[in-house]
Amino acid sequence: MVSGGNASSLPLVGGSTEPTIRELSRPGRRASKYPKLDVPEVEINHPAIKNEKAPLPEVSEHDLVMHYSRLAHRNFAVDLGFYPLGSCTMKYNPRFADFVASLDNFSNTHPAAPSEFTQGSLEILSILEKYLIEICGMDFASFQPPAGASGELTGLLIIKRYLENQKLEHKTDIIVPDSAHGTNPASAKMAGFNVVEVATDERGMVNIDDLRSLVNENTAGLMLTNPNTGGLFEEEIATISSIIHEAGGLLYYDGANLNAIVGVCRPGDMGFDIVHSNLHKTFATPHGGGGPGSGPVAVKSFLKEYLPGPIVVNNDGEYEWYIPKHSIGRMHGYHGNFLVALRALVYMKLLGKEGLDTLGSYAVLNARYLSSKVSKYLPLAFDEPCMHEFVATVKDLKKSHKIKAYDIGKALLDKGFHSPTIYFPLIIEEALMFEPTETQTVETLDDLAESIKLIIEELTAPGVNLSDYPKNLPVGRPNELIPAKHLTVHWGDFELLELTE
Amino acid sequence: MFVPHSNLDLNTIFDELDIKSLEQLFTHIPKDLLIENGLDVEDSLSELEATKYFQDIANKNTSNLVCFAGGGHYDVYLPPTVKSLTMRPEFMTSYTPYQAEISQGILQVLFEFQSLVCDLTEMELANASLYDGATSIAEAISVAINKTKRDNVVISHGFNPNSKQVVNTLIDSAKFNLNYVELDNYLFPEDYEFSEDDAAFVVSFPHYEGSAQDLTNLVSKAQSKGVVCICYVDPSMLGVLKTPGAMGFDIVVAEGQSIGTPLSFGGPTVGWFATKKDLARLVPGRIIGETIDNNHKKTYVMTLRAREQDIRREKASSNICTNQTLNAIGSAIHLSWMGPEGIYQVGYQAIQKASYMKTLLKEAGFTINNDESSLREFLVKTSIPASEVISLMGERGILAGIEYDKNQLLVALTEKRTKAEIDEFVFAFKEVNNG
Repeated sequence: MVSGGNASSLPLVGGSTEPTIRELSRPGRRASKYPKLDVPEVEINHPAIKNEKAPLPEVSEHDLVMHYSRLAHRNFAVDLGFYPLGSCTMKYNPRFADFVASLDNFSNTHPAAPSEFTQGSLEILSILEKYLIEICGMDFASFQPPAGASGELTGLLIIKRYLENQKLEHKTDIIVPDSAHGTNPASAKMAGFNVVEVATDERGMVNIDDLRSLVNENTAGLMLTNPNTGGLFEEEIATISSIIHEAGGLLYYDGANLNAIVGVCRPGDMGFDIVHSNLHKTFATPHGGGGPGSGPVAVKSFLKEYLPGPIVVNNDGEYEWYIPKHSIGRMHGYHGNFLVALRALVYMKLLGKEGLDTLGSYAVLNARYLSSKVSKYLPLAFDEPCMHEFVATVKDLKKSHKIKAYDIGKALLDKGFHSPTIYFPLIIEEALMFEPTETQTVETLDDLAESIKLIIEELTAPGVNLSDYPKNLPVGRPNELIPAKHLTVHWGDFELLELTE
Repeated sequence: MFVPHSNLDLNTIFDELDIKSLEQLFTHIPKDLLIENGLDVEDSLSELEATKYFQDIANKNTSNLVCFAGGGHYDVYLPPTVKSLTMRPEFMTSYTPYQAEISQGILQVLFEFQSLVCDLTEMELANASLYDGATSIAEAISVAINKTKRDNVVISHGFNPNSKQVVNTLIDSAKFNLNYVELDNYLFPEDYEFSEDDAAFVVSFPHYEGSAQDLTNLVSKAQSKGVVCICYVDPSMLGVLKTPGAMGFDIVVAEGQSIGTPLSFGGPTVGWFATKKDLARLVPGRIIGETIDNNHKKTYVMTLRAREQDIRREKASSNICTNQTLNAIGSAIHLSWMGPEGIYQVGYQAIQKASYMKTLLKEAGFTINNDESSLREFLVKTSIPASEVISLMGERGILAGIEYDKNQLLVALTEKRTKAEIDEFVFAFKEVNNG
């Protein structure tokens, strides 16, 4: 019986609806208790103060604990099962890193405390910078960006500021592959660039002829992830790099897929000038249901003075904050997501040389194995060796049985797996994108492939109602149209009616 | 480490792929790009070794400083109940809730978070979090610019300087004018005249300096010119402060650290973003909505998705993707734990303690520059440079505050500070200032 990888049972069970914490509230109940005021009480008359109490829920601590624990039970997680979610690198998050991040001296330090009191935290960032630039083949890094998209924007603002300093303000085009993550064009737009899309060729890689035709004196740079979002290594990266550089543009590496190449090859050696990494993907910090992440940006020496600051420097054994001369400015109120960065360093120290040297290799090995197994049941989008992820397509089943990528994803949920990424990259019809990561066992990978086989058998049988899937979860398929038209985003009774585009 | 394969497993995989070594996976990568002798990093540590390694580095931070620093991040009591619930692995190790059927936990907590933020600020619609307070201000300004199609931003100078730097980075100065308005005696000038070129009025409540004013009249003056009014609020004071909604604001943003997150050296924390429903289409980031499933059961989903980067690409309302969900969960649980009486105590005791401390400092001959208008945070004049005061007080186990300028120290109180700690502060402060 297929059962969600190594899990012996389905991780989530259905049941009746959990009330909201507001519905659990009863006047006069409370979980909190504060000490009696220990200073002489004075009358406060201030025009900014109100008379009434804030309308928060009133619950007992036991009710509160049961409520949020029951909600936790309705949520899939890496600790419960396999997330073959392409582009997201949902690997195991070591508990030990959480332990280190909760050490009082790290977690309870005020961000405005001067560096003389925070030498340990600055040292963490300094050591992590060394690891990161070695892994990426870069020279300096800033930990200001709190997430990948912020890292992208940082990189683009660096390009912009650098070009301004070179008196090359006419360079306003950022080239982005048509297979890129949505954050790429969104970030380029935010940084004030024109977005120019380059096509993907039949093999699934950047179309070099199209690229040549798009590059001109206005080219400011190229954003690329390698391997690309199809999971393929851009074999012509050296050519791509020289095309962009010869036009006076810079190369930006989107670190979304860095997990494929750690210890194998380095963006810096491929010609990239700027790299952001997603510490919450490649370096195993927990995703927290959508965040926090950390998106440090690393650059080659000639761009050091453009980094967002302050950055950490070591001055005669003393760690200090330094604001780069032409810094693009701050990307975060203080030092970025420090405790996420700390967890990433813990992970790197636990892996060490032997673990980091083989990290990408094992990620690719698992993806190659899974693609070999899955390809027995679903055609792959590209006939090329995949790196850490691969894309399969459901287009044949759609034609024959009206089964869409969405339906396969939903049916997989019933088997105890998270769905692969669906409908991405956009250039692949009915795409299912799988990324197993290096932390899954052979049996789990086999189980996933076997589940896909069973699902196809089940869904192609006569009389099946696709919208019944998933069947064994706390809720079934949601009606996604209601909230868009009749918006309920608050537990009160207001509704936003008739919202139209 | 963390790769589960035994040699037997590797044989199985290698057989399936018809390869004999890991190197054979990369024959399609140009040879000159492959790393030759591995990375130049140290050997691995076991957890036992790593415990000592990281503990030793942690000990280089000065321990147990009694915290009188604020400026947006406050040493508010964070109960273990909130920490342990927030760190449940189902919340901590899950991905963004794209698959609603297996993400009802995260989705419902975020729906509750949105509702709690709205109730606390008296707004109508909140998103599921942004990175932090500073970036939230910039996102709010972008919404105002998009809404009004105007290019002048009236922004108070009374913000944490770091927040102003973030705004300066994220708002394109080539296209938009950031018009910083000086505070007048630590308050935003009541007679300020807005114009019809102004996209936004951006103000902190209380101001960074700790002073607060009822902003109702300024908001209504700005709105009469079609200006979008943005309030950056200290959320841990909302048990006692007037709400931004009651003062008429269109958008409320906050640094949510003090609700549900430890100081964390400033990150990860969480940015709150709440607004009126007519701005729904312009809101950055994720929004969770309530719907029904195919069996008419109440269900939560991510909604208004057409604003987001993965669908809208370069036309998105923001590039944000990964946000600060876990910290938003912390906020929701902490708010529910505090309840109306708890959040009142947090705010009320902070003000009382600040009042007590100001009295002691004045008795000791020090000047509080904004005594009357300040609440939990205030500016005290120092006789020696403020940075030296911070150093010397640090040696006595006290983080005295934030250097505001050369001879002014920004001091913050929370409900956590005891009378004994305050007395100790004032005693030490006298000594270091009198050299």
